[in-house]
Amino acid sequence: MDASQVSQVTEMMYALRNPAGVPTYPIIFIGLGVLTFALHILFVQLMLGTSAITLYGAFNSNPYWRRLGAAMLEISKVSVSVAIVIGVAPLLFVQVIYDPHWYTSNVLSAKWVIAFIFILILAYWAMYFYYFQNGKNADKTVTPKSRWSMIVSLALMLVVGFIMHSLTTQILHPELWKEWYMQDGVLDYSGSQLHAYNPWRFAFFISMAIPVAGGMLVTYRRFKSVREDADHDYLNWAADLGKKWIKVGSVISAALYVAWMMNLPETAGDFATSFWGYAGGIAVIFYALWAMIRLKGEARFCSYMALPMALVIGLIVAVSREMLRYGILNDFFHYDFMDYKVVMDWYSTGLFFLTFAIVGGSVLAYFLTIAWKTGQTVGVYTPSAAVDKMGTVAIWIMVLWMIQFFVIGFWIWAK
Amino acid sequence: MDLISLYPTWYEPAVGSGWVVALIATFHVLASHTSVGAALLFAYLSHKAYREDRDDLLDFVKKYGLFLLVFTYVAGSITGPGIWYSTTVASPNGIGALIHSFVWKWATEWVFFVIEVVGVYMIVYLVGRVDKKTHMKISVIFGIASLATMVIIVGILSFMMVPGKEIWFEEGGYLNGFYGTNTFIQTGMRMAFMFTMTAVVGGIVVAGIKDAAFKKEMARKLGWLGIISTLIGAAMLQWYLTSVPDQALLVMENRLPDYFVPSIVAVLAGTLAYFIITMLQPKTLVAGFAGFMTITILVAGLWPEETARESMRKPWVAGQYVYSNQVIGRDVPGMDIKSQLPTIEKVGILKAHPFTPDELKEVNDSNLIQTGEYIAMVYCSNCHSPSETGIRPLHRYFPDGVTQARMEKYVKGALTTGNIAYMPKMPMLDSEVRALSAFLVMNNEGGQPAVVAAIKQEVDARNRALAEKQAQDKVASLTLPQEVK
Repeated sequence: MDASQVSQVTEMMYALRNPAGVPTYPIIFIGLGVLTFALHILFVQLMLGTSAITLYGAFNSNPYWRRLGAAMLEISKVSVSVAIVIGVAPLLFVQVIYDPHWYTSNVLSAKWVIAFIFILILAYWAMYFYYFQNGKNADKTVTPKSRWSMIVSLALMLVVGFIMHSLTTQILHPELWKEWYMQDGVLDYSGSQLHAYNPWRFAFFISMAIPVAGGMLVTYRRFKSVREDADHDYLNWAADLGKKWIKVGSVISAALYVAWMMNLPETAGDFATSFWGYAGGIAVIFYALWAMIRLKGEARFCSYMALPMALVIGLIVAVSREMLRYGILNDFFHYDFMDYKVVMDWYSTGLFFLTFAIVGGSVLAYFLTIAWKTGQTVGVYTPSAAVDKMGTVAIWIMVLWMIQFFVIGFWIWAK
Repeated sequence: MDLISLYPTWYEPAVGSGWVVALIATFHVLASHTSVGAALLFAYLSHKAYREDRDDLLDFVKKYGLFLLVFTYVAGSITGPGIWYSTTVASPNGIGALIHSFVWKWATEWVFFVIEVVGVYMIVYLVGRVDKKTHMKISVIFGIASLATMVIIVGILSFMMVPGKEIWFEEGGYLNGFYGTNTFIQTGMRMAFMFTMTAVVGGIVVAGIKDAAFKKEMARKLGWLGIISTLIGAAMLQWYLTSVPDQALLVMENRLPDYFVPSIVAVLAGTLAYFIITMLQPKTLVAGFAGFMTITILVAGLWPEETARESMRKPWVAGQYVYSNQVIGRDVPGMDIKSQLPTIEKVGILKAHPFTPDELKEVNDSNLIQTGEYIAMVYCSNCHSPSETGIRPLHRYFPDGVTQARMEKYVKGALTTGNIAYMPKMPMLDSEVRALSAFLVMNNEGGQPAVVAAIKQEVDARNRALAEKQAQDKVASLTLPQEVK
């Protein structure tokens, strides 16, 4: 592309910005977007990995695999929900900062965007169908029914993953948007095509499901091992499997990461050999090294660190991914998200962070404490006075939030 | 260059992109309203179960919760962002206006959404695993979190109709845009109707209760909840109509389909009758009956209501400053937003649009129909489909045999001036008026096949001309050195 063509693309991207601006400094949205993407993709990978274990367990006659498959289905089911709910946040933040790119990419593939919604619902329902067919089996080693539904679920989950991958990849090619819109002289208003994809990038993110699921298995053994009814042989087998998956999976993922870096668009320049280009791959391979060193034997503390470590590695990859986007859009196309018009709104900015920290913190601390303790208790769990107090405090915080919402609202309305 | 913030157009010929949004939104309203109402019902039932030490109530909460988890939380949590997805492709500037004004409000809602999703799993799976007091506390938190998601989103929905306070246009500010009369009345109305939906959908679960006495108790509880909330909701609906702009009432009187009012009245009456029957004769409450009522509310209640709310906003799609065709049609000094109409009046829509292909930036005889179709897609297709079916098809608005001259007169007199109350002002250069009119006439006479054929001819002709020019240039470049020699 010559300078004049680049300049036209730059001008188009700036023209597409929303004139309402953004209510606080753009870097904050980028930071939150990266953080929540890392969380989102962790649960996506957890869902894919545990679904794969469920599926493998369903077709394997080994009783341990059968039991593990049934146990991982519970994780997978919740992970889909968590992946969806956490995925809302990066979806929100990308619209704020990269609205010209995200909206264009979506409109040009509109049919796939709409299909995404229905395919995801079907995938989730297929998983629930499998669960209802087999969830009530007291003996988890019997051959599960309707295994096809789990195959359908996993396959459809991969399809929605690919749609999202393609939409994200299209963002990186503003130079092609107009070509995609007008093909052979005729405008394509149908949105029926996915125009861009990078199989190595897609394979890398999907492959990370292997080490992440490995981390889950290590955590699973540690969590269940304290129960009175724990079957330690089975749990140790699961943890050993998990350790293997972390090591082998990280190597596979690192290889795919290298392949992705070797197949970046020309507009990425020398990103692959830049600091962030290396950082993502090194972080992934580091997970294998960490597992070799820290997950030897019992590893009572580090077993609980397996998933947080996966999150840290995911976060480094998420930063690397964001730097790649910035590198292409800013360094090559001179579109800098940092100069988005700011129409500062302190109240709504402050309200979010306070709600996130105080409401989210107090409630989730209470919820997760209850869930954790219940999972480790045989029979009915009755919280201690301190945990019970956490619940009371959380309720009062929620009530106060509602009161402030209406008090401020009526005050503004009456002014 | 004078470019404005317009995106490519997605055109869905069968039903229209607007209806795709409406379909997803209507389903989401059923799922989300039922969930929020049920969350508050669960808080009440769980509290009662704790006070009276009753296992049957918690068992009901578990069954209803599991039903909701599968049918409304799965579908509801996906169709929620699904509304973003569908509006992104159908109305990018509409959703962009909301996102950029209320991103933190949505982010705040997200915090409650996370609590809600974690909470629903705990409510369902911890029945019998934790003591009743703890379950009650989880339920109360879950109920408040669900309600918080609703009150937040209603403020944003209200902004779509009209900013909270008029002063928002002058001073801006999230609070002025969010809070207003319409916000509070709509919140009350939606809260009432969400309990109606909760009571109706809950009937599907009550139908499965084996114990006759408990079934009767729950049928009565849901029945009273449904009757009271339906009556309050109907009253709030009347009140709500006093809080919308006059323009919206004008559109409602003139543009809504004839079936709208009878449909809403019939659904309200039918819902009340359903509750009375199931309270008096709980044995009539079977899953099929409750399921039928759920579908009835969805099809005959929510669908007309949501499409009416969509239509009443016309010609605007968000905040009374973004037109339904995505053009910003009004200054908003408080947000430093400028109307895009002067730019379009100066350079024309083709040059103002960032995605107009170079071949279509100037209207001429070799691209007349294609530029006409392009302008129709940009300006019209969000509300009027240029196809046989779809949303308010264009061809229904013009008589057979309408001439080019008559069409140009209409386009110039009515559309470019903004003289139709519920339609945006659509500035066009004279050449663009000619192109749009030529397209509309052809679409009216021959429909899509004629348009497609005409565009193909234009493209072929352009390609031929280009090939000839390239051949001539090649010949020139070959002969020039010989002449020099």
